[in-house]
Amino acid sequence: MIAALSSEWLKLRTTRTLFWLLVALSALMTLIVVAGVIGSQKHSITSAKDQLDLLGIGSLGIFIALIMGLIVSTGEFRHGTITPTLLATPSRTSIVIAKALAGMFFAVALVGLAEGLVALELAIALPAKGVDFAIQGGPAAGFIGRILIAAALWGALGSGIGIVIRNQIGAVVASFAWLFIAEGLIIAILHSNAINSNAGRFFPFQATGAILTNGSRNSADILSAGGGMAALGGWMALFTIAAVVLLSRRDVS
Amino acid sequence: MIAVEDLRKRYGKTQAVDGLSFTVEPGRVVGFLGPNGAGKTTTLRILLGLVHANSGQATILGKRYSQLERPFCQVGAVLEASGFHPGRKARNHLRVLARAGHAPAKRVDEVLATVGLEGAAKKRVGGYSLGMRQRLALASALLGDPGVLILDEPANGLDPEGIRWLRDFLRSLAAEGRAVLISSHVLSEVEQTVDEVVIINKGKLVAHGSVEELKRGKDGRVRVASPQAKALEEKLAKAGFVVTEDGEALLVAGATSAQVGEIAASSSLVLHELTPLATQLEDVFLDLTSEEKT
Ligand SMILES: Nc1ncnc2c1ncn2[C@@H]1O[C@H](COP(=O)(O)OP(=O)(O)OP(=O)(O)O)[C@@H](O)[C@H]1O
Ligand SMILES: [Mg+2]
Repeated sequence: MIAALSSEWLKLRTTRTLFWLLVALSALMTLIVVAGVIGSQKHSITSAKDQLDLLGIGSLGIFIALIMGLIVSTGEFRHGTITPTLLATPSRTSIVIAKALAGMFFAVALVGLAEGLVALELAIALPAKGVDFAIQGGPAAGFIGRILIAAALWGALGSGIGIVIRNQIGAVVASFAWLFIAEGLIIAILHSNAINSNAGRFFPFQATGAILTNGSRNSADILSAGGGMAALGGWMALFTIAAVVLLSRRDVS
Repeated sequence: MIAVEDLRKRYGKTQAVDGLSFTVEPGRVVGFLGPNGAGKTTTLRILLGLVHANSGQATILGKRYSQLERPFCQVGAVLEASGFHPGRKARNHLRVLARAGHAPAKRVDEVLATVGLEGAAKKRVGGYSLGMRQRLALASALLGDPGVLILDEPANGLDPEGIRWLRDFLRSLAAEGRAVLISSHVLSEVEQTVDEVVIINKGKLVAHGSVEELKRGKDGRVRVASPQAKALEEKLAKAGFVVTEDGEALLVAGATSAQVGEIAASSSLVLHELTPLATQLEDVFLDLTSEEKT
């Protein structure tokens, strides 16, 4: 298990994938922070609460973390390295868990870096705009902590989804189609008068929203932050188990 | 060391492996031969726990691959369609596998030198030629210094010099007491390397024996000419060979030229010609795997 984990860690560090994801992430964060600060009225970014929302821009890094998790797993099938990987580590469970842990670790690292960058950029951009930097350590730490937990879960979820789907492009398209299209559609159907259920709050995107929500949540349609973590953790566990079962059953040829 | 017993694997309508049994002993280099689609790769992948058989046993050192204590250090494998990340450097590819497979890190540079890739170790595999990839695959098989080697068409993409190097290398491995199972669909490629051959076709065993035994197969004939043809024919018939006339010469079925020569010498008969016919292993191979025979 430790050998498999150490090998996964080395795998990610020995390709340029992580580097390019970091570049993409930094460019994306900078773009959004700059646009967010320049494009806003002074009074709408003055309060600590408003600025905390700006800090939340870093949570977009979670999508990059998901892509990273997907690449970690599907890359093995795409390049055929799954064969040597399985020869070196015949235990399918060890491989899946090692990939989930590696996905978690690198997701936290990526999103942590993104948050650091966003905080730094805000500390420069806000005074430049003539607004005082008002974010306080306590609330910021709590918020970033929740973002990192969501990132960890998505990193592991991505690597599980990748093993289940195997095809790299298929896995990325399926994941994002679920997040931005399917989940919303299903929730709309669940909310329709005929069914009238709020089961949709347990879905991954909604659960992530629940983890990241700051302040009041007065709707029965959204879980608490802890509930969101439990729901997203459930999805992660589900895909990790599915990945173990499928990787064990399928032929690798 | 390697034991396959009544192995069966079906893909949809294709019976890829159909009741196959054979064994490989230590210190032997065994050629695993068969035409395209015979089921070689499938059998080897089952042995390595990558493909699940429908029934039967495939064990190495008495155990299934996944049940071995340190499989990567006990069995080395080169497989078709086994890949490399194009953006990873060769040396890092090996480091990744050494870590996962519990092979000592110092082996990485050793095996790179063994396969002659030390100069290209820091190049990304995406820029490798087919032959270099094959050498790298072989290097990864050797990382754990295994006693058993399973190689699926390892000569693919190697230049003549590479093939010759591989042949000598495999012989030296066998001399150290390792067992080597090497597949090919081209017999001449392994003919000079192997002690034994296992020939399969359509998932079934067609023949298993030493190269000599196969060459001596039922179609082995010797053409012999002698001014004392009559006497020679009598002596050969007495030794149990079926002799037919072929113009001036005689055709002796089921004999080697050595046997015919010895019989002639023991009776002090003069020979003008002594030619083994149809004993090209390639012919035996083609014959064994041709349509009518199955
Ligand atoms: N993953 C798969 N799905 C479906 N059929 C398969 C699969 N793998 C192999 N087969 C079929 O099983 C049979 C045996 O294939 P296999 O690859 O074992 O042959 P081979 O002896 O290695 O051939 P070659 O010399 O071409 O490498 C073929 O008919 C092939 O089409
Ligand atoms: Mg093959």
